[in-house]
Amino acid sequence: MQNFLNYDRSEPQKRNVLKRLKDFNEIYEVFNKSKAQVQADRCVQCGDPYCLNACPLSNFIPQWLKKTSGKDIDFAFKISNDTSPFPEIMGRVCPQDRLCEGDCTLNDGYGAITIGSIETFISEEGFKKGLKPKFSTKLTDKRVAVIGSGPASLSAATFLLRSGINVDMFEKDDRAGGLLTYGIPGFKLEKDVVKRRVDWLVEAGMNLHVNSDVGKDVLLEDLVSKYDAIFLGIGATKWNKARIENEDAKNSYSAMELLKDVQKGIFSDSYEKKIDVKGKNVVVIGGGDTAMDCVRTSIREGALSVTCAYRRDEENMPGSKKEFVNATEEGAEFSFNSSPKRIITDEDGSVTGVEFLQTVMTEPDESGRSSVKIIDGSEFIVQTDILIMALGFSPLNPEFLAKNSVKTDSRGKIEVNEAFQTSNEKIYAGGDCHRGAHLVVTAALEGREAAMAISKKLLR
Amino acid sequence: MDLLTSFRDNCGFGLLASIKNVPSHKNLEDAVIALERMMHRGAIAADGKSGDGSGLLLSMPDKFMRRVALEKGVELSDMFAVGMVFIDNEAQIETIKEVCEKNDLKVVLTREVPTEVSALGEFALKVIPIIMQIFITPNSLLATKRFESLLYLTRKELEEHFKSSDKFYIPSLSSRVIAYKGLVMPTHIKEFYPDLQERDFEISFCLFHQRFSTNTLPQWKLAQPFRSIAHNGEINSIEANRFNVDVKTESFESDVFTPEELDRLLPVLQKGSSDSASLDNFFEFLIANGVDFFRAARSLIPAPWQNSPHVDSKLRAFYEYTSACYEAWDGPAAVSLTDGRYIGCILDRNGLRPAKYIITSDDKLLISSEYGVLDTPEEEIIERGRLQSGQMIGLDLKFGKILKDEDINNYLKNAHPYDKWLNENMVYLQEHIDTTFMNTSDYEFCDLSKRQRYFNITHEVIEEIIEPIVKDGKEPVGSMGDDTPLACFSDVQRNFTDFFKQKFAQVTNPPIDPYREKVVMSLNTGFGEVKNVIETSVEHAKRLKSVSPILMQEKMEVLLAFGDPSKPRYRKQYKNRTFSTTFESDLENSLEKLVESIIKAVKEDGVRVVFLDDRALNDKYKAMPMVFVVGRVNEALLEAGVRSLVSIVAVTGEIFDAHSSAVLLGYGVNAIYPYMIYATAVKLLENKKLSRYALRYRLKNIQKAINAGILKIMSKMGISTLSSYKNSALFDVIGFSSNIVNKCFKNSHLLLDGLDFCDVEEKIEKYHKKAFLESHPHRLLKVDIGGFYNYVKNGEYHAFEPNVIKDLHSAVSSSKVQNYLKFKERVNSRGLRLVRDFFEIKSDREAISIDKVESKEEIFKRFASAAMSLGSISPETHETIAEAMNKIGASSNSGEGGEDKARYGTNKNSKIKQIASGRFGVTPSYLRSATELQIKIAQGAKPGEGGQLPGHKVTPLIASLRYTVPGVTLISPPPHHDIYSIEDLAQLIFDLKQVNPDAKVTVKLVSTAGVGTIAAGVAKAYADRIIISGNDGGTGAAPLSSIKFAGNPWELGLIEAHNALKANSLRESVSLQTDGGLKTGLDIVKAAMLGAESFGFGTGVLAVMGCKFLRVCHLNKCTVGVATQDEVLREHFVGTVDRLVNYFTFIAEDVREILASLGYENIEDIVGRNDLLKVVDDEFAKKFDFGSILQRLDGKSTCSVESNEPFDKSEFEKSMLKIVYPAIEDPKNKMVIDKEICNLNRSFGARISGEIAKYYGDKGLPDSTITFRLKGVAGQSLGAFLINGLSIYIEGAANDYVGKGMNGGKIVVTPRDQSRKFSCAGNTLLYGATGGKLFITGSVGERFAVRNSGALAIVEGTGDHACEYMTGGTVVILGRTGVNFGAGMTGGLAFIYDREHDFVDRMNQELIEAKRIDTNEADEERYYLKKLLIKHVQETNSLKADWILENFREEVRNFWLVKPKDMMKIPLNPDEGD
Repeated sequence: MQNFLNYDRSEPQKRNVLKRLKDFNEIYEVFNKSKAQVQADRCVQCGDPYCLNACPLSNFIPQWLKKTSGKDIDFAFKISNDTSPFPEIMGRVCPQDRLCEGDCTLNDGYGAITIGSIETFISEEGFKKGLKPKFSTKLTDKRVAVIGSGPASLSAATFLLRSGINVDMFEKDDRAGGLLTYGIPGFKLEKDVVKRRVDWLVEAGMNLHVNSDVGKDVLLEDLVSKYDAIFLGIGATKWNKARIENEDAKNSYSAMELLKDVQKGIFSDSYEKKIDVKGKNVVVIGGGDTAMDCVRTSIREGALSVTCAYRRDEENMPGSKKEFVNATEEGAEFSFNSSPKRIITDEDGSVTGVEFLQTVMTEPDESGRSSVKIIDGSEFIVQTDILIMALGFSPLNPEFLAKNSVKTDSRGKIEVNEAFQTSNEKIYAGGDCHRGAHLVVTAALEGREAAMAISKKLLR
Repeated sequence: MDLLTSFRDNCGFGLLASIKNVPSHKNLEDAVIALERMMHRGAIAADGKSGDGSGLLLSMPDKFMRRVALEKGVELSDMFAVGMVFIDNEAQIETIKEVCEKNDLKVVLTREVPTEVSALGEFALKVIPIIMQIFITPNSLLATKRFESLLYLTRKELEEHFKSSDKFYIPSLSSRVIAYKGLVMPTHIKEFYPDLQERDFEISFCLFHQRFSTNTLPQWKLAQPFRSIAHNGEINSIEANRFNVDVKTESFESDVFTPEELDRLLPVLQKGSSDSASLDNFFEFLIANGVDFFRAARSLIPAPWQNSPHVDSKLRAFYEYTSACYEAWDGPAAVSLTDGRYIGCILDRNGLRPAKYIITSDDKLLISSEYGVLDTPEEEIIERGRLQSGQMIGLDLKFGKILKDEDINNYLKNAHPYDKWLNENMVYLQEHIDTTFMNTSDYEFCDLSKRQRYFNITHEVIEEIIEPIVKDGKEPVGSMGDDTPLACFSDVQRNFTDFFKQKFAQVTNPPIDPYREKVVMSLNTGFGEVKNVIETSVEHAKRLKSVSPILMQEKMEVLLAFGDPSKPRYRKQYKNRTFSTTFESDLENSLEKLVESIIKAVKEDGVRVVFLDDRALNDKYKAMPMVFVVGRVNEALLEAGVRSLVSIVAVTGEIFDAHSSAVLLGYGVNAIYPYMIYATAVKLLENKKLSRYALRYRLKNIQKAINAGILKIMSKMGISTLSSYKNSALFDVIGFSSNIVNKCFKNSHLLLDGLDFCDVEEKIEKYHKKAFLESHPHRLLKVDIGGFYNYVKNGEYHAFEPNVIKDLHSAVSSSKVQNYLKFKERVNSRGLRLVRDFFEIKSDREAISIDKVESKEEIFKRFASAAMSLGSISPETHETIAEAMNKIGASSNSGEGGEDKARYGTNKNSKIKQIASGRFGVTPSYLRSATELQIKIAQGAKPGEGGQLPGHKVTPLIASLRYTVPGVTLISPPPHHDIYSIEDLAQLIFDLKQVNPDAKVTVKLVSTAGVGTIAAGVAKAYADRIIISGNDGGTGAAPLSSIKFAGNPWELGLIEAHNALKANSLRESVSLQTDGGLKTGLDIVKAAMLGAESFGFGTGVLAVMGCKFLRVCHLNKCTVGVATQDEVLREHFVGTVDRLVNYFTFIAEDVREILASLGYENIEDIVGRNDLLKVVDDEFAKKFDFGSILQRLDGKSTCSVESNEPFDKSEFEKSMLKIVYPAIEDPKNKMVIDKEICNLNRSFGARISGEIAKYYGDKGLPDSTITFRLKGVAGQSLGAFLINGLSIYIEGAANDYVGKGMNGGKIVVTPRDQSRKFSCAGNTLLYGATGGKLFITGSVGERFAVRNSGALAIVEGTGDHACEYMTGGTVVILGRTGVNFGAGMTGGLAFIYDREHDFVDRMNQELIEAKRIDTNEADEERYYLKKLLIKHVQETNSLKADWILENFREEVRNFWLVKPKDMMKIPLNPDEGD
């Protein structure tokens, strides 16, 4: 260990841009054994492990790095899967540069440990060796209904099954995975990877009910009476609007509409896509990871040009730097400091362009934050055929919540106590529906903690 | 025992005897003079006149006694005794008479002893008893025959009768000896006892003693000598020895006393007396019961034998046999003893106290701590010598014959056929094992992970502790400090052994070096009954033995077989039974039931070996804490009077490291079978597919590592053998209830009376449930992750957890106060984690405006950075800290390791210069560049241990500062080799005050129960400031078990020291500082209220400099360039002066705000105001008794003197300085001064050297600008810190510490007559010398040239451990050396003249090699030696060197060149910069 002076940080190989644009497969290759070992060997094994401290899941990162360095994949697999419901997914999609790697001691001038890539490596290598996540071999008579199949729900199901609790999962779509399946494009997370986890859960005894929309196909109140507990992982699917003129114009879509549409197209040849960007100019508004996903998806779908417009500057983009770089490599253009003012449409109400105002960032205030200032009279227009709005999501706050006395706050977020229990003591909730749109890792955490609380209560 | 008024004592001592047993008054006069001349080894009370006690044990002055009796009308018969008694009132005399009568003795006269109270100080007078003499004769013929025995019996009965009386004490009651002693200074003893001035008061021998006690509340009865001994030193193993005497008492049978009388003699040891008094009690008891004088002496203070292959085999047999009956009373000791016929003196096994003797032409033997205590003309001295480690010298008064060590040994070893007895009866378990560590069936458990969870063997423990042990056979090393809560405050699972903090030696006794001085250490343990130790017979040889207390399966099986009636090997004396220590519920009662069943088994079924076994642990049964079981069983067996019959073996999963092992041993187990560490290791190695041989090797490593760890823990307390450590209870217990401690750990100190059996049981319930009952399928990892050593979220709390560090970094790098507030808020709201968190502040005043509070600049003056050496931290860090501290008017501390001279006088100079045990770079100019000289006695991270700077960290810069060559490993020994006791510390303080009279001398101690006592002693040794460090102090590298388990929180030590100083009226003469994890203003205010006037910051300062608490200092991988010498890493250093200034500004302002809110204007006013603290209102807090922290004594709470002036004003050297001043002003005025010197003139040369350094730096003056030609015997520390330009010639002799820290100049010691075999100087010469030359035509004492790094020295013989830890310089020894030569020697060279060709056996071969120099290859070395010899002859006219030179061709063949093995190039002339 502590070999950081002898070896530099090295990220996994990316596939050639020209090749990777031809498909929706992941762009990063998984580390090979020797590289993973060398990279893990750089770890300082700090007395104050900042990575672990920054990780919402409190993953035992230094511990599995040490095992990886010591070539003990079995043990690394065990530790890595102990706290995380799906480490190989987190390794791919977690914004490590803002969490573990961002806080890594070595990030100050030496190059952080490639924690995410090693995390992925450990599980993939383990799978190759035939290792599988372990679940309780004996299920109890306790039954929990998990609503939704996104990261929070999958996490909750994982930990419930490990504790020996039966899980029935209800997903309104045709496939499980929620955001992992339809929200994150394949070039970041291949769908087989998600399916593999879902399959293991089913193998461990989970009943997966797809195309079961709670509130329509099944009623929550029925579930409440039939099950020992309910976990709501229904996410935040309402897309935020820019609240500008003509927002509902034709050819103006939300990010989710695009991403899901494309993914469905990939899943099935028979699916008829609603959005076709091929040969068209596309503007994506937003600066987060989702915006980046839309940009890169559009490029892969054959858009003529793709411009990402964001009201702050590059520095202040919330999305991960890595994704920005990838998008740039793939040919995206960026228009920073551009705040949308109105959408320009033609006579039949289709988008033809967007009028923006230029902005500047103010000097950082006491707390170090800069805000956006609009420059008066700086209007400019960007022509486009298709407009994608990637401005974040909010919880949907479906009616069945109130019906089952599950309280929500003014923004529609489900209120829970420290055990992730809602105002209905039988119902637990976690993930975006509680927190608002957030990271996969926080959803995974909340699913895990809720599951722990449920099993503590049920198995007392 | 009350911590505040308890004491420890050290002293000057000796004896004087007429070899032919001729009484004379001159003998008495000489003895008193000798005693007077060692005044500086004693201490004086605050009244300036009361000594700590001195006294004389004299042969009965027959003539005098007969005269005074006759004057009272009593003509004494042939046989009479005189008792000296201290009584409270006259009425007690009647009881004395009655008891005498009962014992067939007649009191013929009582005499009030004439005294002159004007000779006493005020304190002594206040507590003076009535001093009487009782004249006794036998009352019958029978009594005549056993007169002495009856006297002893009478005295013991009287002592028991008056045990609750305050003053009652019998200094002596004997027909052979009489004691005159009291709380009087030696200079006044004759004045106080006019008897001693009577010309007919004639004696033939005298033991004399001058006491230095750490407290100022001495009592008359504490003065020495006792009835048969005078002791200089400290018995480290005293608790064990006392316990073991009680154990031995069970089986006493005597030829001298009837069983009924024996009963009346009990207890053997008087309660409430000092360690020395207990030793005296037991020695006297043995003698009184007919044990041979020499055998008794050598049984209690044996020479080392276990690991000393050079010792004669028959002598080893004697000691091995004796060890079955007696354990060493271990610790530094020079003891003079007598039984009236024999008189002798004995030195401890490690030679930690001085004992020097002369034999004169008028048949006198004088032994004393120093040479020259009598002005005996040189020509009258026939022999001048010293006792070496473990040696004894005796005198048979009956035949007028001196018995040297060899005579005594020959006598002892041939007295009985010990070797035969042992050969036939003593069995080593190993004898019955074919291949060790091969059988692992005991280590397989189907529920291993449950057991691991129960016993808290976490993933971290496996990875960080067990795996390294298995791999390397060594305890793992870590760095930084322990920032976790005490076990009692923790809210996560902790081991029950965590509640025990290891004790360590500081000041009054030295720790020892278990690695370099392995020769004195041993872990032998035995099984079998302790029989009647008074009797010598083959019975005692019947023992089962093991060389280690850590058993493995094979030894376990052998041990079991010996006690199993169904096995052919069965012997009834080892009959065993296994007792399960598991329970279902009700811990307290279950424990009692278990104990009852054990006692019953011992008494009724003849069980002799008790196995306490927790393996029955399962989902139903929980294991009692093994340490409770062991402690309770041990106490209960003793209470039942059957402890001597039983050996105890703990079979437990709780033990997996050295600390936990030591805890069980400390409370009485003979051996431990730690099955869980083996089981964990076997599991760990399972997948590695090791060969049987490899597996065996790995398992053996476990035993090796734990053994080494136990040795280290013992050595911290200065104990060298396991048998002396066993039952020693050398732990502070923190946070258990007094109920538990009284039942199980009676002999340990309890701090923070807290959790009782029910609380412990609650914890056990919780752990058990978690381990066995809760299902953990959601966990893939079957054990807990840990978090005790390194931070883990939701694990154990760490005071420097990542968020604290991040907040601190953002605060100091931005200088924004709100960032500090965020940091402060996080720290102050951490909950009840550390001791201080349990207190809130309740002021007695209204808040005031902050403008009225003293300025931050005033507060800055109280801040100091903690000692961190250049070496442990990078030059950038070291300099930035110094600059920042200087900028705000605070102080920085150089740490141990020197400082670049270019920094002296600049803003990068550290005001505090540290003097630590390695003495690296301690030169006259270094000392002179400081305003504060800090003696580091102990370090919070690893009190009682030394350190090591590995060669790869010794860069050219560091090497030059430390006077060595790059790449040489530098070892700091555990003790200061010039501080083995309090009077030694006083001597070092004196040395330092000579060399730099303007500096304050501070002494750094570590918090532990009893630190108050030590602090009082340090104040009496004239320190100006005392630092109480917390256990959380950091380190660049230390074993994890030391970081975690030794030392207490500073809060506990600080208030104890503060109150003890007050109780002893010493608080005003010394100021207090504390350090240990201080972070915010609130910490400062609380520390002040607990008694601190100033505040040290170590880890905090490093954190400000960028440290992220990575704990990799020891790996040289510090990513922020703080704790490393690596150039690439150092480029990442972000520390700046501003960051530190920001930090201290925040804290000072924080303090000001708190002060304002409390209504106080300055810190001074809240120092010691613990009445402003209040225990927080919290249910958990209510469990603990914080009374000791809130205890308040009357009196001044702050230091009120400028400096703590030594009693010795050093007039001699001051007058010399005046004379030589012209030469200092202008070195052209060369001077030669002729003068007489005596042992009272101490540290000669230091003051003048300091004065020269002030103006000229270490360059000093041109060679021999000032030359002293002195005659006589110089006092201690001759030529300490000597500088270039000074030459000191002595015709006569010198005492200990000649050339200590010498940097230049020359010291030459020659006896008047070289034809006699004279020892010319004492112990520990050239300690830490960095240059200069020393020539002595005679032999010198122990530890010659210890840690020398530059001096050239030629002597003609040395004691043991010569050239220990040497890192440079050249030494020539033209005579015999003692054993363990060159231990830890990593640099420098030595030439040894070895005519007997046995030197190599006495060499410690670990690091050095000896080569012949009569080869062509060694041409250079050979002629370098020749040049040195010529120089020696020129300086000293050495006859020996002259003769060697004359016969150089032949004699060169008898020389060895000794050099470190890994030194490639020999720096032949370090003096010339090679």
